[in-house]
Amino acid sequence: MLKALAMDSYLLADAKTVLAQAKAGDPAGFEALYRAFEIPVYNLCRRICRTAEDAEDVLQETFLEICRSIGQYREDGSLWGWIRSIAASKALMRLRRNKYRDTDELNDEVVAHRREDTHLRMDLEAALERLSETSRAVVWLHDVEGYTHEEIAVMMGKTPSFSKSQLARAHARLRRWLGEEVAA
Amino acid sequence: MHLSMEQLVALREPGAEPGTQTARSHLDECETCRAEFDRLHQRIARLKALPSLRPTRDRWPEVRAQIGVERRARRLRRFGLVGLAAAASVAMVVGVRNLRQPHTDAVPAELSEAMARSQALEAAIDRYHPESRVLDGRTARIAQELEDRIATVDRELQMTDLMDSGRRETQELDLWRERVGLLDALVDVHLTRASTAGL
Repeated sequence: MLKALAMDSYLLADAKTVLAQAKAGDPAGFEALYRAFEIPVYNLCRRICRTAEDAEDVLQETFLEICRSIGQYREDGSLWGWIRSIAASKALMRLRRNKYRDTDELNDEVVAHRREDTHLRMDLEAALERLSETSRAVVWLHDVEGYTHEEIAVMMGKTPSFSKSQLARAHARLRRWLGEEVAA
Repeated sequence: MHLSMEQLVALREPGAEPGTQTARSHLDECETCRAEFDRLHQRIARLKALPSLRPTRDRWPEVRAQIGVERRARRLRRFGLVGLAAAASVAMVVGVRNLRQPHTDAVPAELSEAMARSQALEAAIDRYHPESRVLDGRTARIAQELEDRIATVDRELQMTDLMDSGRRETQELDLWRERVGLLDALVDVHLTRASTAGL
């Protein structure tokens, strides 16, 4: 919460004025919100969605939702926290809608085989990209955005245990793909 | 026996879950598990430090256009209700006039027809829920242009109240026909977009 409040003032110095403008339906207020939060929202969406195009669509949907429902933001929590929850929810909705084929198991075998042959190490960006959508979403929401397993469970319509096991499995894979086992 | 990834990940969580204390004691004694736990921390720190990504293009114009579409749709809906009331009053005037003037007056009948057609088209657009759709930039621009022109026609229709009755009827008929044409085009824009996108 404190971190999210700090993000507010970092991203949007004149938050009160901009919020008042946006709540009055002034397009200048909406644009100021967009410019301030475009990059963090896009990063969240891009880390969850499979493609950049999907992430950009979710970015657009997120800001449309913000413009529609800014009146419901009561200013008792951080603005970034509120915006982030809309973005995360839209991105997860996009995942469910697209129903991408989960290629985790296949990737596991391929990468394990490759590692034996070449000792190839992937970089973190590539390894993260290679995780299944669900695992990647859990890793990002938990480890980077700071959501709890209970919050992730609510957003995904699953149980906290599901979130915990996804996170552990994802880290086991990342460790393997990053070649960290060699050092162990 | 070393700690599993589930146990290592659980150790980062605030609050003690069953088994956490045992796992923590093991961590204190086992160098391998401590190294693994450090790597987990480092991996998460590296995740947080990944470079910021940027969208390939600015999506604000689309967001702004869509907000405009929604506002105009709301205004159209409001005007649609006014239009219904206007249609009812025209029908009443026609009825009263027909009592007094038995000859057929084609203009009001055509006017009522144009108003009804306009209502039907607005209902069709409403059913499509344009405000809940993400439009591509080109479609949004065309839709916005059409809705701007519809708004202009609506303003001109309001101005016809200031005209004398004979001129007003002709002018109103022209404007309502123009409105129908614009709404027709708007329906086409949405339907074409929907069929292209497979919606």
